[in-house]
Order: sequence, then structure tokens, then C-alpha cells
Amino acid sequence: MAAYDYNREALTNLKIEDTSLLDPLVDFTSAREAHLKKDHSRRDKRLSLKEAIGEFVRDGDVLTDTGFSYVRTPMQAYFEILRQKKKDIQMIGSPNSNQSYMIAFGAARYSHNSYSGAEMRGYDRAYSRAVIEGKTKILSEWSHGTMAQGFKAAHLGVPGLFSKQLLGSDILRYNAYVKVMQNPMRADPDPVVFVPALYPDIAIIHVQAADRFGNARMYGPPINDIALAAAARRVIVTAEEIVPPSDIRSNNKGVVIPFTCVDAVVELPYGAAPGSMPGCYYWSRQWWEKLMRWACQSQKNIEEYFEYWVFSCKDQYDFIEKLGGAKWIANSRRLTKAEEYDNEDLGFDFSYGEFKTIETETGIYY
Amino acid sequence: MTDMKPANPLEMVAYNLSLQIEDHQVVYVGTGLPMVAAILARKTHAPSITLVYESGAQDPLEGGMPWSVGGPFTWRKSPMILEMSYSFGQAYNGYVDIGFLGFAQIDMYGNINTHMIGTDLLKPKVRLTGSGGNNDLSSLSEKMVLVGLQSPDKFVKKVDFITSVGFLEGGDSRKKAGLLGQGPVAVVTNAGIYDFEPESKRMRVKSLHQGVAFGLAQMATGFELLKPDGDIPVTPMPSPEVLDILRNDVDPLGVFTSMPGSK
Repeated sequence: MAAYDYNREALTNLKIEDTSLLDPLVDFTSAREAHLKKDHSRRDKRLSLKEAIGEFVRDGDVLTDTGFSYVRTPMQAYFEILRQKKKDIQMIGSPNSNQSYMIAFGAARYSHNSYSGAEMRGYDRAYSRAVIEGKTKILSEWSHGTMAQGFKAAHLGVPGLFSKQLLGSDILRYNAYVKVMQNPMRADPDPVVFVPALYPDIAIIHVQAADRFGNARMYGPPINDIALAAAARRVIVTAEEIVPPSDIRSNNKGVVIPFTCVDAVVELPYGAAPGSMPGCYYWSRQWWEKLMRWACQSQKNIEEYFEYWVFSCKDQYDFIEKLGGAKWIANSRRLTKAEEYDNEDLGFDFSYGEFKTIETETGIYY
Repeated sequence: MTDMKPANPLEMVAYNLSLQIEDHQVVYVGTGLPMVAAILARKTHAPSITLVYESGAQDPLEGGMPWSVGGPFTWRKSPMILEMSYSFGQAYNGYVDIGFLGFAQIDMYGNINTHMIGTDLLKPKVRLTGSGGNNDLSSLSEKMVLVGLQSPDKFVKKVDFITSVGFLEGGDSRKKAGLLGQGPVAVVTNAGIYDFEPESKRMRVKSLHQGVAFGLAQMATGFELLKPDGDIPVTPMPSPEVLDILRNDVDPLGVFTSMPGSK
């Protein structure tokens, strides 16, 4: 007998015959088992990015997005996943802009989705094309809030929770995990949506600082990542810097991930580039705009773009050199501090040219 | 200010969105025109509003226009930043007064589609962004204001996918579905402002922008618009003072309020 009673209408609408594809995301038993089986000792977990991705990201995994679209997102770890040619990943896109290239290079095959796009830069053409051409199979549709509730339920240590979101919408018809029920506490009709606790296989979380055990300090919006650290079967922390345990103990404000959840700690300066890292560096906006407006236009373009930016870079330092090296670092640090009002912002110029004019005399990808 | 150019359509939308905000409210915003409108409101008639964002950002100090909802301008020296699940929880718990939502399609009951153009989600003509926080805010906010451009392919009889519920099938069907709040209270477009008739919950003209006749608005709409009783009012235009604040103080780079191709 199947372990899970999925919403049948959604299975039919999504044309999902093999429901075992859906199981890992809600399989609490195996998540608890995985958490129990981890080495719980307080030990040095430092690895290189290559080692960490090689050991802890597996073909067919449910890999969740972290950060917010392109803020504190582990971009360089995602690029390493591409370089290692992982495949058949179920990617959770929430709140995402990262599925399209994961699909384009065959790393992601399946999609759990609450958003694919780049805010005012519009919808994601590569993702749209992948759906139309069947290069990705949608396994479930969500809203940001209900997906966040699923992760939060896992974080709270409960089987699920009742939500007032999604009611009446078509999203319910394309998500086999969620169910409309009567609120058991009310005598009069009160529809609620049961959202199960969600357990991704792997979460990669980029932070400003961590110690060698995996205690991690975060600054800026945490989004879903505190919950995800508790939920995921495996957790890789990548950090701008590794600090001594005494630093974490004496500056524990902002320490939000306990070492017990963490499998690997990677020192990875510029690990969120070309995304933004609060307190550290700004987006390369031209890089993103060229991705969204040019590279995502066709498979040929995206291949050319990623050949230059990912496959011909061995690590993030090669990538930073191409963005403009030390000049880019200094400029993007100034930008992010000015925007956070951590340095003088009077008269500060945030303007930048269109991506078409990237090769300027400054040599920086703004 | 005497030879100031009149408001362009995007500035008209931003200004009229700002008028939906009352002072002291908690306003849930995304980037784009709602963000411009909220800051304009704060710099004009509603100086004491509080802005909150789905990234969890709360009450930032004013800065420029953010490049992303997760970006520093949305949490610039914020007293605190919430996790995403808690941020939406504020709307459920009654701490959000008004939210703004965009759309790719809308029907006469204010139901919204941001998922796809087509009839099959597995094989659409165009796959759009999906919900993001759209469904969450429409399900939970006390009041919603919907904003978008008006044309017959956006204002449709039936949306291709109900991402977010407005009034579902009209009448009391939103409430029966179990959703919270009053539902959409206004639709602000480049042609006019609309509300919903209290009984049927069908979209109704509230005012039309200067130079837009009812016939023109109807032509830009794929369903029958209701008319208000009496003459149709003309939508308020921003004064030169307000336009000056909008252009020079709120969005000086014209990130969201300059017309495409005009810069």
C-alpha cells in the first residue's frame, strides 16, 4: 500500500503516474532517520566546495532554493552542481530565479514551483520554454507563503499545519500535497488547507559567517533558511568566512543555524556572486539582466553564457576576475553599504548602463 | 514647475495607487509601481504609514528604488526582518491594512492570473511567474488593490488560471471559499479606476482618466463593465507639487515611472 494519500485530481492534472517521485518531499520517517543517522558530534566539518557538492548533492535529490531569488543565494554552489553534471534533480523554486539554468544544463529535471522570474525583469523565458518543451516536469505548484508554511511545519516539528491560503484557486488543482478540509475546531463551515511538513533532501545555505562545526550567523533577510536547515536531510553551509567558535559564542546575535543540522562547512568568499550578499557585496545587475534578457532567449545563448561564466571558470575567483576583479569587489561593496546606509549614501550613484554596453572602459560588470 | 510635462500613464497609476493608502496604515508592497505609490503617499498625504515586504523586511528607512524585494532598500536599517512565513502571518493575523497585487489577466470578479497564457499548465503558450506571494496576500489581506495595464487580452471573461481569488464567482462566494478580508477594493489601470458592485461583486467603473470615455474603457475590456449611478467622475490628476515630488524625490531615475523608450 502506498504510504501517502495524494490529492487525486492534482495527480491527474499534473499527469503524475509514478507517485514515488512525490514521496521524498513529505517523507518524515526518512528525514528523521537521516537526521538520527548523522554524526552528531561537534567536529570540524570543513570541506572544499567540490568535495561538499560531490559528497552531499546526489542525482535525483530534492534540492531547495535558499536565500531570496538573488540575495544571499548560493550561486557559486549551484554553478559547481552544473560543473559536476549532477542530474534528475527535483528543484524547489521558492523564491527562485535559479531553475531555468539548472534545467537548461540537465541538472534539474523536475520542478516544485512557487515563482519563476526576476521580479520587474519579467517572467523567465528559459523556464517557460522548458515547460512548453517538456524539459522540466512540474511536480507541484505553490505560493511563496504555503511553501514557507510547509518548511516552517518541519522546523516546528509537526506533521503539517492548516492554512487559509490557496482556497478557491487553481493552484489547489496542481498540487497533490495539499488538501482542503473542514477546520476541526469549528462547528460552522470553515474551509482550511492542510499543508504537510516539507523535507527537501539537500539545502545549501550561504551565510556571512560560520564556525568549523557549522554554527552559522546570518545577516539580512533569512527568508526560509532557518526552517530549511532544520528540515533538509542534508545541509551544506557555505560562508563568506569561517570564524573561530569563540567568535560565534561571543557574538551570538544572528546565529540562526545550529551546528547539529549541518553536514559540511565550506569557506566560500563571494559564494553568492553575482547575486547580492548583505553587508558584503551588491548584485552584478548587468550580469542578471543579460541572463534574463539575452541568455534566457534561447538554448544557444544560455549555453554560450554559461560556457563563459561557469564551465570555463574553475571557481568563484575566476568568476570575480571576469566581473572586474578587485575593482568590482570595491565597487559592489560600496554599493551595498550605501544602500544599507552603512556608509555615506548622499549623492551616491546607483545608475548603470544596459547590459549591451558592458564592455566599458571601467572594465566592471555593474 | 510651470512648464512641467503632464503626468504620463505610469505616473497617473502611481499617483492613484497612492491615494488608496490612508495615513497610519501598514502597507504590504512588492517592487514596481506599488512601491513608488507607497513612498509617494508617505511623502504627501500619509507620512506615518509602515511598509512591509514578503522578504520579511519591516519598516525600512527611505532610500532609493530597490532592485529586488530582497534587496537592502527594502530593509534599510529596519528594526527587524521577519522570516517569510511570519511575514505573511502578519496579514492573516490582522496587522496588514492594505496590499497591492499585479496581474497578467483579470476577470470581472477580480480573480487574477499570473501563471500562464494558455489552457494547459503542462503545455501553456507562455509560462509566467506563478504565484510568488500573490495568492498569499489575496487570501489574507484585509484590503487589496489590483494594478495593471488595461487591454482586452488582460481584462478577460475567464482567466486562464486562477492564481489568486478576488470574488471568485461573485456574491458571497469568496467568503464561502473560506478566504479572509474584504477582497479587492480597487483596480487601478492606465485607463481608469474600478471598484466592485457590493452585491454581485462585478467590476464597476469608479472614475475614468481624463480623455477616456466609457466606450473606450469598455473596448479595452473583454467583459461587460458596470457603470456607476450618474455621471462617471474624472480620475484625479496629480498636482504639479505632487508630480515634482514623484519625479525628483520618489523615483528620480524613472526606474518605474518613465515610459519605455522615453529615456
